[in-house]
Amino acid sequence: MTTIHPGLKARRRRSALRTAAFLSPWLLGFSVFFAYPLLATLYFSFMKYDGFTAPVWNGLANWSYVFQDYPFFWPALRNTLWLVVVMVSLRVVFGLGVGLLVTRVRTAPGLFRTFFYLPYLAPPVAATMAFVFLLNPGTGPANTVLDLFGMPQPGWFKDADWSKPALTLLALWGIGDLMIIFMAALLDVPRDQYEAAELDGAGPFARFRYVTLPNISPILLFAVVTGVIETMQFYTQPLVAGKVASGVIGGSGQQFEPGYPDQSTLTVPQIVYNLGFQRFDTGSACVVALVLFALCMAFTAVLMRRGSGFLSAED
Amino acid sequence: MSTRTDRLPRTAPEPTSRTAPGTAGRPPAPYGRRAATLEWIAVHALAVAAALFFVLPFVFVLLTAVMSDSQALTRDLWPNTWEWGNFRTVWETPGFLTWWRNTLLYAGLGTVLAVGSSIPVAYALAKFRFRGRNLMMMAVIAMMMLPPQVVIVPMYLFWSKQLGLSGTLWPLIVPMAFGNPFTIFLLRQFLLTIPREYTEAARIDGCGEFRAMVRVVLPMARPALAAVALFHFFYCWNDYFGPQIYASENPGAWTLSYGLESFKGAHQTDWNLTMAATVLVMAPVIVVFFFAQKAFIEGVTLTGVKG
Amino acid sequence: MPGHPRAARSRSGRTRRAPYARTAALAAVTAVCLLAGACTGSSGGGAQDDPDAETTLTFWHGWSAPSEVEAIDANIEAFEEKHPNITVKTVKNVSDDKLNQALRAGGGDSPDVVSSFATDNVGRFCAANALADLKPFLAKSGIDPAKTFPKPMLDYTQYEGKRCTLPLLGDAYGLYYNKDAFAKAGIEAPPKTFSEFDEVAKKLTKEKGDSYSQLGFMPNYHGYESTVEHFGAQFGVDYFDADGRAANASDPGMKALFTWQRELVDALGGFEKLERHRSTFGDEWGAKHPFHTGQVAMQLDGEWRGKMAKEAGADFEIGTAPLPVPDGQEDSYGKGYLSGTVVGVASSSPRQNAAWELVRFLTTDTNAVVDFANAIHNVPSTLAAMKSPRLNEDPDYRTFVKIAQHPGSRHAPGSVNGAAYLLTLQDLGYAYESGREKSLDAGLRKADRQIDKDLAQAG
Repeated sequence: MTTIHPGLKARRRRSALRTAAFLSPWLLGFSVFFAYPLLATLYFSFMKYDGFTAPVWNGLANWSYVFQDYPFFWPALRNTLWLVVVMVSLRVVFGLGVGLLVTRVRTAPGLFRTFFYLPYLAPPVAATMAFVFLLNPGTGPANTVLDLFGMPQPGWFKDADWSKPALTLLALWGIGDLMIIFMAALLDVPRDQYEAAELDGAGPFARFRYVTLPNISPILLFAVVTGVIETMQFYTQPLVAGKVASGVIGGSGQQFEPGYPDQSTLTVPQIVYNLGFQRFDTGSACVVALVLFALCMAFTAVLMRRGSGFLSAED
Repeated sequence: MSTRTDRLPRTAPEPTSRTAPGTAGRPPAPYGRRAATLEWIAVHALAVAAALFFVLPFVFVLLTAVMSDSQALTRDLWPNTWEWGNFRTVWETPGFLTWWRNTLLYAGLGTVLAVGSSIPVAYALAKFRFRGRNLMMMAVIAMMMLPPQVVIVPMYLFWSKQLGLSGTLWPLIVPMAFGNPFTIFLLRQFLLTIPREYTEAARIDGCGEFRAMVRVVLPMARPALAAVALFHFFYCWNDYFGPQIYASENPGAWTLSYGLESFKGAHQTDWNLTMAATVLVMAPVIVVFFFAQKAFIEGVTLTGVKG
Repeated sequence: MPGHPRAARSRSGRTRRAPYARTAALAAVTAVCLLAGACTGSSGGGAQDDPDAETTLTFWHGWSAPSEVEAIDANIEAFEEKHPNITVKTVKNVSDDKLNQALRAGGGDSPDVVSSFATDNVGRFCAANALADLKPFLAKSGIDPAKTFPKPMLDYTQYEGKRCTLPLLGDAYGLYYNKDAFAKAGIEAPPKTFSEFDEVAKKLTKEKGDSYSQLGFMPNYHGYESTVEHFGAQFGVDYFDADGRAANASDPGMKALFTWQRELVDALGGFEKLERHRSTFGDEWGAKHPFHTGQVAMQLDGEWRGKMAKEAGADFEIGTAPLPVPDGQEDSYGKGYLSGTVVGVASSSPRQNAAWELVRFLTTDTNAVVDFANAIHNVPSTLAAMKSPRLNEDPDYRTFVKIAQHPGSRHAPGSVNGAAYLLTLQDLGYAYESGREKSLDAGLRKADRQIDKDLAQAG
């Protein structure tokens, strides 16, 4: 540092300025829309504030209320955990299955691929409303079809035991993104490895187990971790499904019962809304927000460490 | 990273036409034609079954959209009468056009701002060497993974109480002018694949860094720009939480996603009209997809990638 | 309740130092701004505007069905004719959550006059001074509320002595029954006590396989309108003690309510079977409501159901009566749960005198109240309007007007956190009817603790 040539120093300063200029929009955005609100969320989590009267210091009361007394916190966390375990694993297995299928289809492959991909594009509110209708237990087409085959007809979104499976079905329907990612990964598996395995007498399952899987394992990890993070953010679908299935729509002057039926569709992001924008208990909403933040960052850290480069900050 | 793009459908337009794994270069002798036929049947039977799963919901929604009120909640799956007028009824519902206009404003302006402001950031993160770069990249990723609910309480107070902008879409559009983390991330991933020699050559020609970016790199990044723009457009189009928080109190600022849900409330659960509205919200997305299929699939692949 | 909905509620750590310090400073500055601007809603009733000046009022309401919107618009037009200096801008289809949000946010587009279907939120609006105290306005206009509005409606429009809203039409809840089904089962009159009601419900129930071709009554709490507070009005429950603490575990009426409902669930085939039947019901606000289709023969509902059933083409004769009362309390027969739309003036409004003129017109002008009640088929909310000869003569409708006038009719008490306590009890209901909660006493004690904690957190 001590022997730097003055011209070099000037050039360095210029280059630092240039970098700062390029980065400026984001530096501003980061501070105003990330750093500041995060600190403010922490601040409010210790305050009592209803939106009308000035915030007052509330110590750890909001924290103990959320963890001990708020009736929706643990059900929401349990539901989110259920979805993380069941929905994410089914989505990864199904996505891989559809990816495998689409690489083997010889007739009209483009058409099939489009069919499989299309539902991913359906706007979530529209897709959810469509599924609530399709899975309407009394008159919905799904149960009508099940009836034709003499199969049991579940209550889907109207039955606390079936509402999460119904949401999972909706998530499987929109598998298009994972399918494409897996398809690309499958096509990248070196062909000679399959040939070598075949010469060694490996059958299709052994080839899948010893050639395909090791080759696509980084993609699998990527799919699992991003799936977990997405699931922790799961908001629109369960909320709309609950509202529409219960027959209570937000626009018409009534409060809705969150998580209909029986809190079975309540997820962690929804209780931030419930506390912050229905109960106007700003402090407790911020406590839940911080819990959600910690969970998401923990999984993001896993992705950055183990993601073998996907999300690596290095190039 | 550097080899990803050449595996994309752009250079291999029909990935499925390439030999699929497992079936590759296999001598036909041990299996014979019969086995191959059986496999063809099995694979295509499965594919047809899967296609039914993916397509039937659309079919039922469409069929219900053209049913009469009285039929929509019966077990008849095929319309007795074809009420094409339902679409017209929905289109003419007070507010529907406003929701369209608002959605286009939010998605259109939001996309232009987000992509425009993210380009220099992604460029700097991909091409400049500076201290703290990795740290900044981590911050971008952290912000990308952050659920909007985490910071919503202070953000809402900021926009509504400080700036008096609740009941409008501005709290959703303005932040787009300050770089969108997902867009920055994807663009940076793509820009890393462009060899440094190009920008260096431009600089030797006397271009400043900004001109090197605009004249040399951006034209090469056109497909990636198209992909991120599409993603962002669809993100805004589909956004429900944002409008629910900021725009819901003013029906004049509702977007399609938000309005669609209230549609059912105002129409006392006329499922046929609700499904017709659903079709009208899904349709533009699907039309855009057919025009921009390639950019889309490249974009999806870009997210998951690095071999 | 305004023509329809509502009922359902009855639903890298090593960042460089400098940028971090700057960020922190920015955060601190913004936080201070937030604190300074945080107390918008709490200004007192400084109403100095001239009600005769040219002005534009913003009025928010929750009505959304086309016929209802038309009716309220007609009402507003009548007001504008009387007050040519005032123009009213209406915003329809505003939910209570949004109302709460907007009253907090304040700002240029925020409303001057607001109406809400959720009577349960009056406590919150009054306690937080979000809505202006109407007492001085009433006094100035020479209106004596006690002589103008029915008592139960006066009760639910105030909170702890603060009158921050007035009633704008009401909803009374009673019993609808299928007269044809009654005749077929040999039942002559609607039941007056709950034991009679149970008998009738059983007689009307026809099983078919593992389901029903006709169910006497859907007692499950997820069944439409069969909520704790609607039953509660009949059982005379108080919810809170004199000190404002939850007192359900020690309330014999509350225990009787839960016990009666559970026994009826079991008598009609059990929770599971009823739930399966319930999942086949059409939407509550649609044409395929189970009462319209004959899937259930009796329905607890508000005054709007009769008209909706006829419009949906129900092909049987409809009977109406008050809901039954517990055995031994026959003298209180005729009462029912009461609710309604409330209307108030935003404290943040700079046009409170003009806003009061609109509130006064909507809530006390007999013709306006009668016309609006007739148009949207709600119960009128002034004593004079209830006696008006111009009021709809339909006997089914009149049943509900009578329930609204009954001295025993009541609403569930207001609280600082709105209807949260009712949702807690409703949750206990789901748990108890399904058998997840075995002990009613333990369940009620748990609910009481929850309600007290929620109130403490909100208060």
